[in-house]
Amino acid sequence: MPYQGTTGALALVAALALSVSGARAFDESRFPNWKGQWVALGGAGNAAWDTTLPPGAGERALLTPEYQAVFAANIKAEAAGGPALDPTSRCVPAGMPRVMMAVQPMEIVITPGITYFMFPAFDSLRHIYTDGRSFPAQIEPSFIGTSIGQWQDTDGDGRFDTLRIETRAIRGPHTYDASGIPFHKDGEAVVTEKVYADKADQNTLHDEITTRDHALLRPWTVTRSYRRDAGQVRPEWLEVLCRRDASRVLIGDQNYKVSPEGLLMPAVKGQQRPDLKYFK
Amino acid sequence: MLDRSAMGALALAAALAMSVAGAKAFDDASYPDWSGYWLAFGAARGSFDTSRPKGLEQQAPLKPEFQKILEASIADIAAGGQGNDPGYHCGSHGMPRVMLALEPIFFVILPQTTYVILERLSQVRRIFTDGHAWPVQLPGASVGYSIGQWIDTDGDGRYDTLQVETRGINGTRVYDSNGAPLHPDNSTIVKERISLDKSDPNILHNEITTIDDALTRPWTIMRSYRRHPAVWDEYVCAATNEHLAIGHDDYLLSADGLLMPVKKGQKPPDLRYFDAPQP
Repeated sequence: MPYQGTTGALALVAALALSVSGARAFDESRFPNWKGQWVALGGAGNAAWDTTLPPGAGERALLTPEYQAVFAANIKAEAAGGPALDPTSRCVPAGMPRVMMAVQPMEIVITPGITYFMFPAFDSLRHIYTDGRSFPAQIEPSFIGTSIGQWQDTDGDGRFDTLRIETRAIRGPHTYDASGIPFHKDGEAVVTEKVYADKADQNTLHDEITTRDHALLRPWTVTRSYRRDAGQVRPEWLEVLCRRDASRVLIGDQNYKVSPEGLLMPAVKGQQRPDLKYFK
Repeated sequence: MLDRSAMGALALAAALAMSVAGAKAFDDASYPDWSGYWLAFGAARGSFDTSRPKGLEQQAPLKPEFQKILEASIADIAAGGQGNDPGYHCGSHGMPRVMLALEPIFFVILPQTTYVILERLSQVRRIFTDGHAWPVQLPGASVGYSIGQWIDTDGDGRYDTLQVETRGINGTRVYDSNGAPLHPDNSTIVKERISLDKSDPNILHNEITTIDDALTRPWTIMRSYRRHPAVWDEYVCAATNEHLAIGHDDYLLSADGLLMPVKKGQKPPDLRYFDAPQP
């Protein structure tokens, strides 16, 4: 079956879902074998969202002038003791699309109507609905967004090999990576993905990720890749608990330090005392 | 087929797994329909043992030194504090507390693993049903490491019960928000027996037995969950948590972003560093 359009793919998915629902048998052979533990390629050196661009100025160049200014102001504010640019430092989830950097290994669980992307970090479980549904008219924004996918058999061998995903309703604040590159505050970012195994190596998975956001001059496409150990019979799944940085607290919009003995301290010279009117 | 021994269940599971590997087809009809979201119900759902009133009346079989910890926790809660509940700072509730299901849980059943997915913090329990033995070294996690066995108790050719044993549970844990503690030695073992109600397929029961060094004997309770339509709702504690710790003291954040006391008469934070000359 050659590569097919959206309508054809949806029809195929719907037919498959129906047959599964009727027979109550899940024909795994129709889907790619993406079992195992997927580890992001590149390791710590791959910490930038787009490794093809020089960090900092190169990535910043993709932002509209308004958001270049926002980014610069955020950097300045953080340097002056303000809130950290990276929301994950406060245990706020990385969200989409950043979660696909897979800082910790991920598991992909394929079922007929939903494919799950599971990450060890808290608040990072993706549901990719592949049952042919449409996006609801109203979606409650979430950090992980709402994702609808379509399986495709691009080489016509009778087995799906590619998962195309669109994700909307992504809640902010979120950033592309730890550098703090911002998304537009309107929350209208749309992320599309094409996930497939490498043609020459089924133990390498690629995710072509395109982000459309009003803070960008043009859609931004990056490819993240992951690898699994084919010889790993039973992967060890670690639990990653977010530990808030106890040396900093955010009270309202003000960032403060906490001394080693647990007392509140100014984060910047001349910072005002917090308002304690509720203690009177 | 009547309730069978663990060996028998393991053999059946292994045979099924082998056939799946060969035919690459997962016969969903061999497993119970636990689709949808499951949520605890009833007025007493917040307590670990729903058959008893909350607090000390739970009659947790705690050893005296752990009973004192519980009593202190309840006294702190009565004074406006949070007791020794680690959950209010957005920590994992860990096993067995996650199975209270005060936020929805759902199951993804595959031949080799049954996933229990918890809406709170999007945590995932993996219950391995492929017949493998306990690893020599367990990785350690708040939800532990779980091995399960599917059982066809009524012999109708379809599994109906999942028996689970969980070990390798670590972290500070309590049974419920009143703060009855588990032993900090991380040696807890939790056994579960999960099955649908015989007369109502929209009710799921989980008989939970906890074996823990803070207890005088194993503690068995029954949790029940009601099925709801499948709607995933992201539960991000850290994004909305109004509790704030500064050093060892807890405070609340008001809607206007100011510090508030959590207890009546609580002193304000020590601001001596704001009074000192700044560098």
